[in-house]
Amino acid sequence: MTDIAGFIAKYGYQSLFLCLFLEAIGLPIPGAVALLAAGAAVAGGAMRLVIALPVALLATLVADTLLFLAGRYSGWSLLAVLCGLSLSPEGCIVRSAKWFYQRGRLALLFAKFIPGVNTMAPPLAGSMKMRPGQFLRLDMTGALAYILSYGAVGFLFRDIFRALAGGLQAFSRTAEWLIGAGVVAYIAYRIWLYGKHRPDRLVPRVPVSEVAARLKEQPLRPLVIADVRSHGYYDPGAQRAQGSIRLEPNNLDQALPSLPQNAPIYLYCT
Amino acid sequence: MGEATSARVARILREKGFDAYVMVGGLKSWRKAGLPTERVPESDVELLPSFN
Repeated sequence: MTDIAGFIAKYGYQSLFLCLFLEAIGLPIPGAVALLAAGAAVAGGAMRLVIALPVALLATLVADTLLFLAGRYSGWSLLAVLCGLSLSPEGCIVRSAKWFYQRGRLALLFAKFIPGVNTMAPPLAGSMKMRPGQFLRLDMTGALAYILSYGAVGFLFRDIFRALAGGLQAFSRTAEWLIGAGVVAYIAYRIWLYGKHRPDRLVPRVPVSEVAARLKEQPLRPLVIADVRSHGYYDPGAQRAQGSIRLEPNNLDQALPSLPQNAPIYLYCT
Repeated sequence: MGEATSARVARILREKGFDAYVMVGGLKSWRKAGLPTERVPESDVELLPSFN
């Protein structure tokens, strides 16, 4: 009997870790719900605060630090990947950077409470070259505030959550269910995105070798090579294909008049 | 995935009557093929805010 209780307790902490870690790296897992349940589990004696709190904090800090380092060493490209999930990736990068900059370092303190921002804040801090020590201090404070406030609500309203969840076993099951639901929602979103971009895939695609062959016929048969990356233009010293022009996807209408109607236009990103 | 932006822009340009193509593999393939690159001119660089 104690073996089973021990196993369940262990599994509960692992679910808590997994939920918070996955939420922090950007998967659609409601970490707040896991914290509410954990708070209730602590109140009911099924979980111990001295283990649950460090587990929750560690999960968040490990994920955030990974994203921070990735942001620091990838310039703006990691942000481009994270923003790839949004409807307008280029606008997302600029908007996020400005939002984060305007609110300054304090943004890290409350980023956790805002879905979407919670994942963007650490890599943004990295891309903007925040000092690691300062990042860790601010991020830890923000993570503690997030964990303690939701945990406290779960602790204080434990009866409601016990009625809902019925203890630790149900917590693990709830956590599994949440992870499952999150993954299903994510896959559905990707399928929807795939369908939405279907017309884009009908566009003719040309290998680099063909563009190179056409380049040799210059200037007899003019052509345009256009760089549609945005984040390539945020890092000083960035490189681009020789002879290409910049085509900012967010300002297409402005750029249209300067594009030739009767020459092929080859577009590239990363 | 990496060609999503190219494809989207190419589709929009085609709808407006331009002869647009997606260059397969993007800048990565361009480099791999040994084709030359150049430094992005200062006037085109858009510096985003930084803390340091």
